[in-house]
Amino acid sequence: MAEKDGKVKVLENRPGWIASINPWVLKIINNPERTAFVLHRITGLLMALIIMAHIYVTGTPARVGWEAWAEEISKAHGITPVTLYFFFFAGIAWYHGLNGIRLLLTEFFGVCIGKPEKPKPPYEAPSLKACQRKLLYLVFLLWGVLWALTGYIVFFK
Amino acid sequence: MARASVRQIWLQYVTAILLIFLLTWHLVIRVPWLRGVNSFAETLANEKVYHEITAYGVLLIIFAWTVVLHAFNGLRTILLEWTSGKYKGLITALAVILILVFGSLATYTVVGVKPLPSGG
Repeated sequence: MAEKDGKVKVLENRPGWIASINPWVLKIINNPERTAFVLHRITGLLMALIIMAHIYVTGTPARVGWEAWAEEISKAHGITPVTLYFFFFAGIAWYHGLNGIRLLLTEFFGVCIGKPEKPKPPYEAPSLKACQRKLLYLVFLLWGVLWALTGYIVFFK
Repeated sequence: MARASVRQIWLQYVTAILLIFLLTWHLVIRVPWLRGVNSFAETLANEKVYHEITAYGVLLIIFAWTVVLHAFNGLRTILLEWTSGKYKGLITALAVILILVFGSLATYTVVGVKPLPSGG
């Protein structure tokens, strides 16, 4: 942010909180890492909200009793709001979990980020050439496969 | 200040590593053919859930507290970033309250579970 004539102006390279949820705010070509970051943040926010509901609902046997639980679960057949909830929650958890493993490997254990090198034109960061990007594509692929499998189990089994 | 931030980061990473195993277990026990039943709904049947709560109660409590720590510490970090650290005290208090409330609620689910009614 910068101040000009007493008014606060948002600079283009400081887009604020909106950059957390919109991968296209920062106009960078060939940047799947940004998309992964935004998705990780959106899924993280959604999970924090859904977890509250999940803990409350799964407490039914203790709070209310087994009859109420059985009534809830009787709605978990086919495509219903209950199964849709499980499907979307699992999809969000799969992405956040798989991308989280990639982040742990690269940030925490330094796997697949490449070795530092002397900057030379065209100044491509070694981390963007290293295998972390392959890991990223693997995350997207596994996410699709596991989410589809979850859909099969939840809706059709 | 810096030490507190480092502790927060470590908390997020350590809980994340634990969650890889705990969440995998939590999801796998809902797979029908691994539980010897025919449908997803059957994995949530009263007898199955009661058995999970009584047999793996401690693991479920550890899982619940790990989840709430990871979730609300993450939420705190995002909110601090969005507000440029302006409401640090308020956001931290909110995160601590959420952790305590939902961690306790999850613990109550395990320790306060009612016995199955006879015949069902």
